[in-house]
Amino acid sequence: MAFGAIALAAAAAACGGEQTAATSDALRVALLTPGPISDQAWNGGAYEGLMAIRDSLGANVSHIQTKTPAEFEENFRQYGAQGYRMVVGHGFEFQDAAARVAPDYPGTIFICTSGDMLGPNLSGMNFAFEEASFQAGMIAARLSTSGVIGAIAGTELPPVRASFTAFERGAKLIRPDIRLLVAYLGTWDDVAAGKEQALALIARGADVVFQNADAAGLGIFAAAKEKNVLTFGANADQNEIAPDHIVGSIVINWPRVMLTVAREVQDSAYRGTLYQFGMRRNMVSLVLNPRFESRIPADLRAQVDSVGTAIVEGRFHDMDDILQPADRPARQNAP
Amino acid sequence: MITPVDDFLAAAVRTATPLALAALGECITERGGVINIGLEGAIICGALAATIAAGTVGGPLGVTAGFTAGALAGVVVTLLFALFTVYLRADQIITGTAITLLSLGFTGLVYKTVYGTTGVGLTIPTIGDVPIPGLSQLPLVGRALFAQPVITYALYAIVPFLAWWFVRTHAGLALRATGESPDAALAAGIQPRTVQALAVLAGGAFAGVAGATLVLAQSGTFVEGMSAGKGFIAIAIVVLGRWTPLGVAGAALLFGGASALQYLFQSLGWREVPYQLFLALPYVLTLLVLARASARSQAPAALARRQLTVG
Repeated sequence: MAFGAIALAAAAAACGGEQTAATSDALRVALLTPGPISDQAWNGGAYEGLMAIRDSLGANVSHIQTKTPAEFEENFRQYGAQGYRMVVGHGFEFQDAAARVAPDYPGTIFICTSGDMLGPNLSGMNFAFEEASFQAGMIAARLSTSGVIGAIAGTELPPVRASFTAFERGAKLIRPDIRLLVAYLGTWDDVAAGKEQALALIARGADVVFQNADAAGLGIFAAAKEKNVLTFGANADQNEIAPDHIVGSIVINWPRVMLTVAREVQDSAYRGTLYQFGMRRNMVSLVLNPRFESRIPADLRAQVDSVGTAIVEGRFHDMDDILQPADRPARQNAP
Repeated sequence: MITPVDDFLAAAVRTATPLALAALGECITERGGVINIGLEGAIICGALAATIAAGTVGGPLGVTAGFTAGALAGVVVTLLFALFTVYLRADQIITGTAITLLSLGFTGLVYKTVYGTTGVGLTIPTIGDVPIPGLSQLPLVGRALFAQPVITYALYAIVPFLAWWFVRTHAGLALRATGESPDAALAAGIQPRTVQALAVLAGGAFAGVAGATLVLAQSGTFVEGMSAGKGFIAIAIVVLGRWTPLGVAGAALLFGGASALQYLFQSLGWREVPYQLFLALPYVLTLLVLARASARSQAPAALARRQLTVG
């Protein structure tokens, strides 16, 4: 008996499942995050988006933190069986499980952030993180005095790799001889590993470290503070976490992104398309830390802004090979 | 002049410090005949308690409060483990797993309650490196061994002390006797249950301090799940170290070295080599050493035994 009680308490606490009640026939939306929503980044941002759905649409929302990939499918099925209208798997890693589950629950719409699969009730949500990464690379190259910059991520997911490629191209546009050192932690939670890896890159001369490591990114910020080098925030506005060392953050406007999709679902306007969010609709942008505005030379600033304008106007073609164009048919979900 | 070798050695010692602390505690526990798989849980609880205490008190005193709170949290969590395994004689592996799962969930819950969903950022005071004049100037090992946080220096005293304590004191003998043959210990007038309970709690205190080290000497923040498997690595380190304090310290250093080598290799920018190979390096090295060392096992004879005494 005692064991049962412990196991139950553990399961309840581990899931962190929270439900917020609204009216009975309200839109029901669920979010699965791969990490803690206290990461002040990828997961926290999505949760903020979920809260916007609750507040703006009066939706009934639920969040669950998954621990292992084996739980992805199980949790999708739970929400599907409960009749949730929209279930968001937060990350590329969720989409295989979503593709398996989607045909069994046609009344539920499955959304995978950073995914590229499609089905009648399955959509990927693609962020042109590369665009702002390119701009960040331009700034990093100019602010670097050593000519060596670094980039650290949790694992080598395709969107992460593409973002690092864009970062490198942006840097080389400003300084062709710049050298980028890339490292992966194999974890998104291990803050100590994030810090050690950042220290190792800094010891090899990197004086600007780009990162996309969620909670482990806090360790990278700690290393930047300790060694007085520069870094960038990712997925949410992290500028205030280390205000003297974070040059700017690549911010995904989560409330706007999540509300856009939830509104379509609520209005029955959902058509199973691949969502493309980038600079064009002001969904993803590089938000500079006000403290660094004066340190960025005017000519560089003008160059960065002109790249931004070119991207928005569709005149920028340096990343066509890594960006997913909106009109290109996405990978079809095999039934 | 700081060379790459200096950086590598310093990273090895830094990475090894929390592992060595947790593994030394587990070494005490296992010498008493109990295997505590819940070590991971004690580490994460220690990390959270240290975060809250250090953040509340603040300043240099906050660090002391943090380490104390970390040790206490480790003791409280393992008290639960001791109750079930030592007194109710429940299965140690199952109980330990439950404790780890409970702790990972519970700390997430408490963290969100205390700090909200936005978290603490990098606001926790940390102890900086304290270079020891003279010694830290030594070639090669100077910076690695003598330009570290105080908690690392504490290990330099704890390891030889424990080695002496295990062999030369009555209490150490009672502990080892309980782990080898509880019946014989009982016959000799030792209370095996009391000894095991104390050994488990001591292990919890060490694990809690290991968790506090992650926050107060390294990252300066708490993140849910930041123990990231270190408790399980520490258990492997105990086996690798053949259940002796010196062996455990050496094994922790080996693992720290392998991790540091991994960080170094990735920072060299060899893009042709898959990074997963580097990430696997510490584990591959551990397996290799274990395979060589396990020829003659020296595990306490009564380790993980459910029925304590025959009589």
